[in-house]
Amino acid sequence: MFGSGQGVALSCCETEGGGKVAWRVFQDSVMLIAVSGGGRHGAGSSKEEEVHLQRLLENVWNCMVLVLGQDELTNMRNVERLKRDLRSCFSIIDQLLEDRQEGILGNLTHCTDSLIPPNTTVIQEAVDSFAKAADSEFGCLIVHGRIAAATEKWWRLAPQEVVLLSALVRTLSGSGSASCDYPVFLPQGSPTVAHRLLRFHLLPGADVCVLCGPTPSLHRAETELVGRFWSPLVETLRDCLAVGERCLPGSVSLRPDVLALLLINRETRRSVSCVRTSTNHPPCAPLLPSKARCWELLKLFYIFSIKHYFMQEETLCVTPEERAHKTNTEDFVHGFSHQPIHCYLVTEECKSYGLQTPQHQLFLLIPLSVPTFALRTVATQTLSDIVAATGLSPLM
Amino acid sequence: METANARQCAGKTLYRRPTGKDGIKDEKGSDCESTSSFRSSDCSDDLEPEWLDDIQKNGELFYLELSEGEEEVALAQANSASQGVSTNHVRFSEKEAEIITEQNKKQQSGLRTKGETTLKRLARILRRKRRPSQRRGGGKDGGKDSSTLSPPASILKNQPGQRQGVMVQQQQLKEVCVYLNPKRLGGSSTPLSGSGGLLEALLGVVHHPCWNRGQGNSARQEERLTIHGLIPNSPAIKCGQILIGDVLVAVDDVDVTSENIERVLSCIPGPTQVRLTLETVASVDGSSAGESSSILKTKACPPVSQLVRLLWGEDMAELQMSIRHIPHIVMYLSLKLDSATPQEEEEILYQYPVSEASSQLKGVRGIFLTLCDMLENVTGGRIISSSLLLGKHLVHVGYWKESSNLLVIGLPAERVPLLYLQTVLGDVVRTLKVMYGSLDSAFCKVDHAPRLDHFFCLFFQQLIQPSRLRDGSSAPATDVSGTLFLDGLPAVRWLTLPPEIKIEVDTVLSDFESSDFGEMSEDFFGLRRLYVVLGSCLFYKSYLIANHLPKEDLLDVCLYCQHYCLLPLASEQRVGQLVIWREVFPQQRANDSSSTAPGYSQPLGRHFLLIVGLRHFMQCVLLEAGGCASPALGSPGPDCVYVDQVKATLLQLEMLEAGIEERLNTPPAPCLSCADWFLPAATARDRLDSLASSSPIFSKLAGAVKGSSSGPRGRSRFGEKSRRSSFHRSLSDSGSEGHVDAGSGSGLSVGAGFSPHSTPDSARKLGGRQDLFGSDGSGGSGALFKITRMKHPNPFHLGTLRKTLTERETEEMYNTMKLTSGAENTLFHYIMMETVQGIFIAPTHREVAQLSGSIHPQLIRNFHHCCLSIRAAFQQNLPARARRPADRPQGGGWGLGPVKEHGVLFQCKPENWTDQKKPAPTMTYWVIGRMLLEPVPQEFYVCFHDSVAEVPVEMAFRLSFGLAL
Repeated sequence: MFGSGQGVALSCCETEGGGKVAWRVFQDSVMLIAVSGGGRHGAGSSKEEEVHLQRLLENVWNCMVLVLGQDELTNMRNVERLKRDLRSCFSIIDQLLEDRQEGILGNLTHCTDSLIPPNTTVIQEAVDSFAKAADSEFGCLIVHGRIAAATEKWWRLAPQEVVLLSALVRTLSGSGSASCDYPVFLPQGSPTVAHRLLRFHLLPGADVCVLCGPTPSLHRAETELVGRFWSPLVETLRDCLAVGERCLPGSVSLRPDVLALLLINRETRRSVSCVRTSTNHPPCAPLLPSKARCWELLKLFYIFSIKHYFMQEETLCVTPEERAHKTNTEDFVHGFSHQPIHCYLVTEECKSYGLQTPQHQLFLLIPLSVPTFALRTVATQTLSDIVAATGLSPLM
Repeated sequence: METANARQCAGKTLYRRPTGKDGIKDEKGSDCESTSSFRSSDCSDDLEPEWLDDIQKNGELFYLELSEGEEEVALAQANSASQGVSTNHVRFSEKEAEIITEQNKKQQSGLRTKGETTLKRLARILRRKRRPSQRRGGGKDGGKDSSTLSPPASILKNQPGQRQGVMVQQQQLKEVCVYLNPKRLGGSSTPLSGSGGLLEALLGVVHHPCWNRGQGNSARQEERLTIHGLIPNSPAIKCGQILIGDVLVAVDDVDVTSENIERVLSCIPGPTQVRLTLETVASVDGSSAGESSSILKTKACPPVSQLVRLLWGEDMAELQMSIRHIPHIVMYLSLKLDSATPQEEEEILYQYPVSEASSQLKGVRGIFLTLCDMLENVTGGRIISSSLLLGKHLVHVGYWKESSNLLVIGLPAERVPLLYLQTVLGDVVRTLKVMYGSLDSAFCKVDHAPRLDHFFCLFFQQLIQPSRLRDGSSAPATDVSGTLFLDGLPAVRWLTLPPEIKIEVDTVLSDFESSDFGEMSEDFFGLRRLYVVLGSCLFYKSYLIANHLPKEDLLDVCLYCQHYCLLPLASEQRVGQLVIWREVFPQQRANDSSSTAPGYSQPLGRHFLLIVGLRHFMQCVLLEAGGCASPALGSPGPDCVYVDQVKATLLQLEMLEAGIEERLNTPPAPCLSCADWFLPAATARDRLDSLASSSPIFSKLAGAVKGSSSGPRGRSRFGEKSRRSSFHRSLSDSGSEGHVDAGSGSGLSVGAGFSPHSTPDSARKLGGRQDLFGSDGSGGSGALFKITRMKHPNPFHLGTLRKTLTERETEEMYNTMKLTSGAENTLFHYIMMETVQGIFIAPTHREVAQLSGSIHPQLIRNFHHCCLSIRAAFQQNLPARARRPADRPQGGGWGLGPVKEHGVLFQCKPENWTDQKKPAPTMTYWVIGRMLLEPVPQEFYVCFHDSVAEVPVEMAFRLSFGLAL
């Protein structure tokens, strides 16, 4: 914005009460400005962090590319027309802004929200063969907005794209149609050439989609392929749906004193998150934070840890310019002479514990009743439990 | 008795005060025969204090004088190292030069008769002519006006040609820097011998005119200044490079002969350092002198003298030049623009510094103004910070809006993380408010500009290149995070003293604060008090040892001291005399005159801060005029009586210095461990080797270690144990040997040999750990350590520090002083802040320095950096009531909610690990901060090794530092 004439690039501002403003120019053509109002109005609104705003800007830009293609945005001929065209991506942007669906953290973490189905191999095979039949290498099954299984190639897409495609599918399935054919540009993979995203509604909460070229037609795929590959698996799909928001199959036994967890695989850039609904805790115990509050706390704790201690290496991150941007905002992390590996917070509501290994990052919320010295044990044990239980699955 | 004398004398001064200063001076000579009461005080025999002439028009005073001895040496070293800098330290101006010539004639006529008094007069007149404001530009003025000077005065200017000549004759000439203090002349007991004059008195060089093959008067006119003798304890002999037989050629590039030397020396206005050019006769001596000076050069990069010079107002430009490429700026901008008369840069009320990088920032001031205006409208909150990229530098800009003006401070992100920008900015603003009342009054007065330049020069230097200011200091803490964190705490570093000393200190302070000055108090003369002493606080070597001020006042005073680096100054250099006087505006008193208890209102008075430092002691006194004392009119300068009283107090306290020193030398109260001890063999052995070279005991020890650890890898633990015990025996044997050595006084003392490890159980640890390292070290479980714990108390420790304790008692002492439980002490570092009293406790610099090692300083740096974020987490989510007034309410957001405890586990690996086969050993440690609001608000920050069982951590917190307090 202003100041570029004098060789100064402004990136972020902060005001009293936690209000923040962030700028970013994309491709020298579009500038996005994000403003968060801070917590003046009511106690519930959380304080947005700069990391969050920067992520949001990036997501919004990617979303515009996804829908309109990069050419349209960089060489705009008619601004009025562009404005009109942009309306088509408002629904996704709204979703990004509102964070309406609980438990979807991909927008923030840039790691795909996943769900580990109880019978991984069956589902995986089904997805693979379905995509192959649809003449595509990119296919995935989305359950409750999270990816339950996907083809090899799908995982090779940039994490931001996968996150964004999941968001798109969530919006599309929210519309209630049984199937749709949607042209998408991949912000990193093919920002100028559109692909077709075919989405089919299998069961309430379960969608399958493929990215493909001109063939097959939506009609053919819907009538021939969907029935052939997915009708035998209805029971399996129901099992998947039963996993629900827990994201982890029943075989993984979580310790009872874990309120919420977010586990990130740093190599595959996938994440699993869940919040336990507290059903049977003794009435005399101090009140546990509500489910919505748990999600919020988890998110805040993630931001806190990332901002202060844990590096998020975006090796897949695109241009060097963007990387420079990242390192600039993370100056504090680089100030440590030794590497932080665990951290915890004790607040009035609960205790939070984060740990980082070369492969994983784990963030936990734990009730106040657990003594502080036990946090570390709880965390390491939880991590090893999950890794052991899902060790064979390609997901975690 | 001594002080009583002093009081009497000063009482007379007081009595005459209404009649004016001149009156005092006239009768001074007769009055103060008995004034040599202040034991060894510099100002003793001179009733007219040295600082009198430094008082500025507005009554402010900043007078700093280094003590004799060590500091001269330090200064001379520093400057012999930086000879390239050709700043002329003797300042001249036309007026002074003329006066000198006049006085010189008088002096010549009446020299023999009047002797000392005349000279003192002269000095006084000279000093009075020299206004403090001329100090800065003095040298330049002399050069500029040189054309108008009369021939004798022209010697005073810089002559480049001469300097070239010096360069050519380098082999025969040598340059020596000496520190001269003409102000000591007056009081010096050695009478001026008739012919020697200033050359003898000031410099300590004896020159006999007649020895030089004198051929009558005509030859004497141009006589060369051969050095015939040196006076003991004089600057000349102390510097060690002026030899008998040398010829003094020039002083600060001014050629001198026997004729003009007195005049040149008399031009030296105050304590300063001059460069003497000498012609050496013996070339052999010259080379040896050269060698010694080169040794000095390698060792002595400027000690604190750089800081001292900055405080004296010198070197500002030079220091500022060295950081000119780093973008930083302070601007005070007006938000109300008069558009009718558009002028260039009209909105800039104040700006510093003027450099390339900062002018770029200045260029975008429009952004700051716009953002300030716009964001308030958009988000409903004032802007507090913004980040921008300037080339490759990320710059954080902090904003502070006051009425219709905006203070903008830009700092490089690598120095000040965004998290802490607010605190830094808040502290600057508070300091300015304390000094000037409000930002507007600070910035909007034109005559404040040079002082603000000095203020912000100090500010940026401390933040951007602290190492330069404190180079060569004993304290290793030059890490930015550390200074940021510790200075940012709303607290002062506190040193716990043994109760009996503490009581005495408090008694002495209270005596002073009662303002019962006996014959010197105003009551005695039936006058209204000039000032009420609101309270005072006492620092010893940068530690607060007593405080009788309310917390907020203490913080105000401390902010001022921090900003002017007074605390490190007192800790590292013996301050000869420090007198600071200025009007201050304590924030607590200025802000809420109404909000305190009903029925009570703050008296509307003016407040003055008096800081007096002597040696390592520094006392800050807050005085109130008005209220129940007589109102202050105009801008009163420091009052001699009060200054003298504080000095007397400090002198009284000096008797306790030994006790306080002893406290500083005792082993740290909660034992500390060095991080390096927890890292496996390779590094530890290296360290032993390096130590071995310096100490025979350690060479034995290292040999033993090598012998034991070179054994086969797969030996059983049992075998190890027996081996270990034998090893211990050898250790203790060698130790006692060494001790005997030390006792007999043969050169090397054990204390010195062991000084890096004199934390009590260090030797034990060294002994105990070695074999563990041989197995697979870093696991560090308590059980293993239990095996290795030996029952011998450390012989060194016992011998040197606690002679009377039996073994058993020593054991107990260790146990009680340890914070962590378990066999091993795993505590690395700690900070405890008591918010109510505004003090914090941390291991003393000396304790930290004792734990030298390669990893440990890193660990402490990391600890401080982590504390920054921990404290930021505490602050961010704190309910508004408990917040420090300087921090603005950030309010609002629920966020994570109030944080009570926050910990981070770190992993460290030794640097440059070369062994390819084995993975580098690691050591993990916790940094934990906890905030308590009940019963008293406190914050703890501790750093300890991971191996400690977690329950004890909890206990350590519970017990808190009750032991230490």
